[in-house]
Amino acid sequence: MPPAEPLAPVGAECALDHCITCSDEAVPMRVVAIDADRGLALCETAEGTRSSVEIALVDAGVGDEVLVHAGVALQRVGALA
Amino acid sequence: MRYVDEYRDAELGRALAGEILATVEPGRHYKVMEVCGGHTHSIYKYGIDDLLPANVELVHGPGCPVCVIPMGRVDDAIALAEQPGVIFTCFGDMMRVPGSERTLLDAKASGADVRMVYSPLDALRIAKANPERDVIFYAIGFETTAPSTALTLKRARAEGVTNFLCMCNHVTIVPPLRALLESPDLRLDGFVGPGHVCTVVGARPLGFIPAQYGRPVVVSGFEPLDILQSIHMILKQIAEGRCEVENQYKRVVPQEGNLRALEVMAEVFAVRPHFEWRGLGFISQSGLRLSDAYADFDAEVRYSVPGVRVADPKACQCGEVLKGVIKPWECKVFGTACTPEHAIGTCMVSPEGACAAYYNYGRFAREREVV
Repeated sequence: MPPAEPLAPVGAECALDHCITCSDEAVPMRVVAIDADRGLALCETAEGTRSSVEIALVDAGVGDEVLVHAGVALQRVGALA
Repeated sequence: MRYVDEYRDAELGRALAGEILATVEPGRHYKVMEVCGGHTHSIYKYGIDDLLPANVELVHGPGCPVCVIPMGRVDDAIALAEQPGVIFTCFGDMMRVPGSERTLLDAKASGADVRMVYSPLDALRIAKANPERDVIFYAIGFETTAPSTALTLKRARAEGVTNFLCMCNHVTIVPPLRALLESPDLRLDGFVGPGHVCTVVGARPLGFIPAQYGRPVVVSGFEPLDILQSIHMILKQIAEGRCEVENQYKRVVPQEGNLRALEVMAEVFAVRPHFEWRGLGFISQSGLRLSDAYADFDAEVRYSVPGVRVADPKACQCGEVLKGVIKPWECKVFGTACTPEHAIGTCMVSPEGACAAYYNYGRFAREREVV
């Protein structure tokens, strides 16, 4: 039997590394700017993708790294280290 | 990137694999469950199981929220999506989860307005842009996504948005773990604890596992070295006759969790008396609904849903996979009738599902080589 073809990754609508439906994988992002009036922060991933993130649950300032899950920062990375 | 690169160092990984080998007792078989789908995904992506001694077996747990949604709930979601005028929003993966007859993607193809979002906040934005239509968010997930839904509902109320609704399928991690530990067909030696759930709930709620069931738990991060180190810590506890909850993921997991997140969740959600899990059946107090204070935002209050319980397809063995009783490739339909493109079972749908993780990373090997 010939060897099987290499399988192409599926689930193209969400990057396999950080699937949004995952129960338990958060995306590390850096806070770029904070809009205190709306309670939102502009955050950036290591790859440079930017998005608005809700930061009401953490004490984070510009330059801090936060773990973001489904648009919400759950913890400041290294805050406890 | 800080906190990423240093946790993927190959040299350190090999050193840890050596330490693991030195810790295990030859001739004894160890079964360690990684509770969470994120861990399953990392394990196959990085080939962590290939670094372990042959007598250390990883069992994949029920911690993928897509995989545990029963078919009846998918049917309910499709019924909501097909209400006239409704915009139904969900995370991408949920669109491909099969209900008893169709997926949300099929419903979309036949005219329902189903839209993919990346966060509940996106769904709220759609609601504000379409004030004349009801926008329903299909909320799923463990304690990591529940705060996000809760905050969005609070925001909707504060901003006076009345056309934003939520179909709540949030679940909690402790009751299914207890159900697994009570399950007679499963013998486990330890648990790799769900790191990000613990950022919210803290490490403390897992204390019942060592206290009542005598099994070690190590709350773990998601990078390859995190997982290897956690497995080593579990095996070390066993070797030393200890049994406790240890926290490997101290850089983000505080002992008490995120109190603000827990507060918001307590305000917006209430515990359901029972909730059905795919393959695991009904588990008491394992699901969340919207609290009475937020009943106005509850899609299941404003619209009626069929609420019919649908038995899992006979060929599908997701339940046994979710309990770790069988490996994904031992399922009768794995890779043949059930593939990520045409999934029968939910474990094949989400990239975090055990079956999809096996399938995507080509892990068909039925016997591991001894390292």
